[in-house]
Amino acid sequence: MQKLLNSILRNGTLLLFILLFGISFWLTTINQNYQRSAFLAFNNAVSAPLLEVRYRFFSYLKRQSHNEQLIAENQYLLSQIITKNNQAFLLDSIPFEVIPAQIIRNSIMLNHNYLTLNLGENNGIKKEMGVITANGVVGVINNTNAQTSGVISLLNKSLRVNAKLKKSNHFGSLSWDGDWPNSVILEDVPLAAKVVVGDTVVTGGMSAIFPAEIPIGVVSEAKVPINDNYYTLRVSLFQDMTNLNQVYVVNFPSADIIKGMKNENE
Amino acid sequence: MNRLPTLISWFLALIIMQAFVFDPVLLGIPFAPFVYVLLLILLPNDWAPWLVLLTSFFIGLSIDFIFVSGGIHASACLIISYARPLLIRAVFSDTITSGNLKIEQEPFGRLFRYLCLVTVVHHFFVFVFIVVSTERIGWVISAWFTNSLITIIAGFFILALTRSIKR
Repeated sequence: MQKLLNSILRNGTLLLFILLFGISFWLTTINQNYQRSAFLAFNNAVSAPLLEVRYRFFSYLKRQSHNEQLIAENQYLLSQIITKNNQAFLLDSIPFEVIPAQIIRNSIMLNHNYLTLNLGENNGIKKEMGVITANGVVGVINNTNAQTSGVISLLNKSLRVNAKLKKSNHFGSLSWDGDWPNSVILEDVPLAAKVVVGDTVVTGGMSAIFPAEIPIGVVSEAKVPINDNYYTLRVSLFQDMTNLNQVYVVNFPSADIIKGMKNENE
Repeated sequence: MNRLPTLISWFLALIIMQAFVFDPVLLGIPFAPFVYVLLLILLPNDWAPWLVLLTSFFIGLSIDFIFVSGGIHASACLIISYARPLLIRAVFSDTITSGNLKIEQEPFGRLFRYLCLVTVVHHFFVFVFIVVSTERIGWVISAWFTNSLITIIAGFFILALTRSIKR
């Protein structure tokens, strides 16, 4: 017993290092698994007042670029209204509504990035709602509390979004490869699609999270892996993920019905 | 322990700076200098190793809380703290007489060399822990190099500024 105690005292620093390193490693691991990220929900709840101050400070410094972003969004929305008025029969028939929200925290450096919104359950935000801007997809609501919501970013290697090529309607699976925050990868697009650089990629609409035809980006590189029948496409994002402010949370009133039908079919 | 108020001031100043100025989202670039590394440099040399470990853990965890990065920064800070005697010996080997070294009073050139060494080692582990695979080794190297460089530049200016104010 005495020997054991002596040994612990002698190696106390090493044991403390191992203990603290183990805690850090555990925190890193749970942070990468968004489905079990209670830590993230706790972090959002506790740090909400600080984030609010930070958001106001950032907003003040970035007001010019935010104004430009809002002008661009207004232009886009106006064009959408005009298109809708002229070609209503072409549009997606599933109804949806949007809830405007502000990003109060964003991260871009990690493999598994998250965002925080200034709205929560009190404002009708629920898990698995999509988050978009006029320029494209931003992420999916991952956890909520009364005042804030955590969003799993498009720049998170765990997230996969159903997407398609606008011109040919060929579907694929969109995800981030973890390299640079301005591009993502679209996989599983069949060779029959005849892709060229510059083709537009939009959401596929095959889920109860994002409506169809939300813009994502343009193809900047097209590759066919050896012995494969599918393209691997690099897509340059329309939305600058480093400069997010105003976003819209997509609420499908019929999301539960669609999920129920999907589960029944499976 | 009479240096504690100074250290707390450094802690608050650098954490606020990290959260409100040196944020990649605010700067609009993929990287931002991790100026909080200066805290690891300025920890007193005569502190017990367990206290250095706990303080570093707390510093790293505060940054992880701001950047929602789990325990990545805390892990890198712990490695720096554990390897601290080695890192100090590498830079101050010809002047130290173990416990009585006061890093913040050392000549600026030596302090800057220590900053470079700590930054390079710390950032290496940060980016390795971010990726945790050999797939993106190219990205790790470029991110490690770029981020280390901007941290060293920012650290240089902060140290130079605080020294000139003291004088």
